[in-house]
Amino acid sequence: MKKKSKNTLWAYLCSSPSLILILLIIIFPILYTAYISFTNMNVYHWFDFEFVGLKNYRDALFVFDSGFLSALLRTVLWTVVSMILQLVIAFVLASLLNIQNFRGRRIYKTLLMIPWAMPGYVSILLWKTGMFNSQFGLLNQWLEKLGMNPIRFLAGDVSAFICCSVVNLWLALPFMIMIMDGALQAVDRSCYESAVLDGAGWFQRAVYITIPAIRQIIAPSVLITVFTTFKQFDVVYLLTCQSGARTGANIHTILTYAYENAFITNNYGYSSAISILIFVILIGFSLLTGRRKKER
Amino acid sequence: MKLKTSKKIRRGAGHVCLHVFFTGLCFLTLIPVLYAVSVSLNAENSLLGSNFRFIPESFTIKNYLAVFTDYPVMLWFKNSMILAAATLALSLTVGVPAAYVFSRRRFAGRNAILKALILLYSFPSVLSMFAIYKLLGPMGLVDNRLGLILIYAGTMAVFALLNMKGYFDSIPQEIEEAASIDGAGSLQLVSRVVMPLARPSILVTAVMILIYVWNEYLFATTFMTGAENYTLAAGLYSLQATEISGSWPVFAAASLVISFPILLVFFAIQRYMTSGLTAGGVKG
Amino acid sequence: MFRIHFGRLSKRFAAGFLCLTMMVFLLAGCSRQEQEADEGPVTITIWHDKEEEVAAVLQDALNQLAPDIIVKLERKDGLTDSLKMVGNDPNAAPDMYFFAHDKIGVYAEMGILAPITEFLEQDVLDGCIPMTLEAASYKGEVYQLPLYFETLLFMYNRRYMKDEEVPSTTEELYTYMQENTRGGHYGFVEQHSTAYYAAGWLHAFDGYILKEDGEPGLGDEAVLRALEYHKKFVELMPVEGEYATVNTLFREGKAHSTIGGPWLVAAVREAGIDLGIASMPVVEETGKPISPYSGVQGVHVLRVAAEKKHDAVKKVLEALADDSVGTSMARASGCAPARISCYDDPQVAEDDMVMAMYETAQNAEPMPNMPEMDVMWTVAEKLLVDVNMSGKDVRSSAEDAQEQALKLIQQMR
Repeated sequence: MKKKSKNTLWAYLCSSPSLILILLIIIFPILYTAYISFTNMNVYHWFDFEFVGLKNYRDALFVFDSGFLSALLRTVLWTVVSMILQLVIAFVLASLLNIQNFRGRRIYKTLLMIPWAMPGYVSILLWKTGMFNSQFGLLNQWLEKLGMNPIRFLAGDVSAFICCSVVNLWLALPFMIMIMDGALQAVDRSCYESAVLDGAGWFQRAVYITIPAIRQIIAPSVLITVFTTFKQFDVVYLLTCQSGARTGANIHTILTYAYENAFITNNYGYSSAISILIFVILIGFSLLTGRRKKER
Repeated sequence: MKLKTSKKIRRGAGHVCLHVFFTGLCFLTLIPVLYAVSVSLNAENSLLGSNFRFIPESFTIKNYLAVFTDYPVMLWFKNSMILAAATLALSLTVGVPAAYVFSRRRFAGRNAILKALILLYSFPSVLSMFAIYKLLGPMGLVDNRLGLILIYAGTMAVFALLNMKGYFDSIPQEIEEAASIDGAGSLQLVSRVVMPLARPSILVTAVMILIYVWNEYLFATTFMTGAENYTLAAGLYSLQATEISGSWPVFAAASLVISFPILLVFFAIQRYMTSGLTAGGVKG
Repeated sequence: MFRIHFGRLSKRFAAGFLCLTMMVFLLAGCSRQEQEADEGPVTITIWHDKEEEVAAVLQDALNQLAPDIIVKLERKDGLTDSLKMVGNDPNAAPDMYFFAHDKIGVYAEMGILAPITEFLEQDVLDGCIPMTLEAASYKGEVYQLPLYFETLLFMYNRRYMKDEEVPSTTEELYTYMQENTRGGHYGFVEQHSTAYYAAGWLHAFDGYILKEDGEPGLGDEAVLRALEYHKKFVELMPVEGEYATVNTLFREGKAHSTIGGPWLVAAVREAGIDLGIASMPVVEETGKPISPYSGVQGVHVLRVAAEKKHDAVKKVLEALADDSVGTSMARASGCAPARISCYDDPQVAEDDMVMAMYETAQNAEPMPNMPEMDVMWTVAEKLLVDVNMSGKDVRSSAEDAQEQALKLIQQMR
């Protein structure tokens, strides 16, 4: 008994610096936002704000209209599509890079990391102006050479959704490849040797050995990526609805929707309430999927 | 003998295919980047028309010179370096022990904390900045590098902890048990047995943190005042091709310049990315 | 047996811990920030977001106050958001800031601004062009010392559009566009679906994004007529109307004319274009020219500084109210000075662009400085995109936008 509590104490002692940092930079803002969500902090009551109870939450229900619901569905679709593509492509590429005696993997890996080495807004701007622009975007220049009419890639809902997915994939793949690659390195090679002797093909090895072996290692990164994809803002906002450069596509995710329908009001109490509600929705989602996983 | 050679040929052919595949893939991936390279080197400064080429007809480095002469890039570089190094040091010193403890020890509250940590990621952090400002302001950490370091390390702390814990979990505990039978103390055990084995994970985490700090601009511009305190990403953001300042070729050149150090680091650490486990650290 | 690799990591580990402890000490040290002494020179910090040339003029003008008053100009990107956070924090807030007038309402309501009349006599302000003073006032108080103002200009490429071809009415412009828009060339381009640029067309029809009483005007008949009329021009322009497309087309000589800000001029001239500047074409139907928004740039005083450094702030403002500052700042930025007497200066009076700006400004509408405008930009832009790019019905889109605007404004409180 005594040993157990000493163990606990020691564990908390070791992890406390990290936990304190998390408490300060991540948990405190959440609590503060929750606190503000019960006040009327806005332009007219910036410093002299007071408690208004659930008023902001009542108002927030107006934002959760049909537009919000379709944004929510779109966000789910967006997350599922992005995650499946990311995981499959990253796994295949990382496996190929890890084929034994394959020279040049360092070069290829470094080259594939380049998209990650640029700040996100730079990459998005490059895609938007350099690739998709209908006047001088590279894609349309090529179409023109093939004798086709220029396409307004970012104008239609479907094509804009695809473009955003491609850009998001481009931005996120390097990280996924790196995580997968690191995980593959940690798999004991001797497992494969016996499997190869047993005559297992690449696919069988992947399913029965590699994936179970790396699942635990990549799980946290994958989960984190799921959340960051879910609350993705930059890609969709900068590509389709940046102020001064809207393209006409309506592919709001929950965050861009909340931004345009609440955050721009400068009403922090109200915006906080919406943030908290989105937080609750997301937690609900993850608990739901978590439970289903367990049942399986 | 014959069988072996045919196998070798087959493997050789396979590798050629792989090279072709990866070369193609890299080209495809890098089209936007190559575009930026071409724009930044093109002497004609022309974006229009159907005459874009990856290799411009006439070269110029004046855009790169402009990056270095018109803006305090070296100062920004220094700021980025300081922030990145300090954040890395802080994140890893607090992250590694925490990850190890969460991987190896079973204690009250462990599972709850792990679950909660993941859920924290679902908070839309658009409003966090304001709260962090309220927190750091009274401590005098606004307009102060230390404040930024704390923010960065804190933002990456959850990832660092969970990611490294995942890898620690994959290292069989028997290795440590055997080492402790051999007489290694608990600190020795961690530093000399576990660390080398977990090297890839620590490196992955470190790279992740590095890239985050290197490319972050929102906090860097909001929490720091004065162009002389900017990081590279913040500086680039401030000279971004907006309506008013916009020179697209200079912007392209600048964005390539700032991502170059990251690529160097990335290339350099690759040889250390193989785990101690497979590189002969443990032999039965 | 195990062969253990003794890594160097343990040493690094120890070094890391050392770092951490040092940081904790640093942290403790930093929190005890020393308060500025009352004696000696007073430092006045001014935030701005301007180009170096403009800042340099300002700095030069204020250096004469040394050694009693040291003025520190700090460039701050994202200035508007930062002010919201630090506005009343004496340790972090600047003493003054140099920015356009359109945020005055927000900051005045927040209570972080001090009226400029606490420092300057009315007759100093009377020397400013009335339009700039109107822009600087919110609810009866003047919160800004106007230095110069900017507005959009009609620009043309003399290589294609001869001086005598410059359209004086929008219908002439339309004819010119019809005749010259082909083969990759455009007769006229503008950022047709951005609120800031399209507002000029609305104003020509007496339509307003935000009316003077703070009510959104997107549903008004005048706006509907303007949007309907504007549409036929948009059809002859590239669909993508953001700045990158529009400015590049003009800079590369593919567009014969455009409406752009003074900030465009330097880049365009550098690209070797023989630039002409003219007054805005008139809409025949209403007899009013396209009347864009104007932005009045000037200095604002924060409440925290007003109490602590009253005399120093007063001296800085007085120095800035001098004609020579207005003249040289206007020249550095390519904008028009805010003080009437500056136009007696021959260099100002002979500058084509400054005078074109001055002319256009006679009709320009100062951007609304009410807090409500913050949501109107987004809503108005969505309406423009719906009409111009998605081809939706003007009336129903405008009604939706009006409803959305009302809802958002209600949510601001």
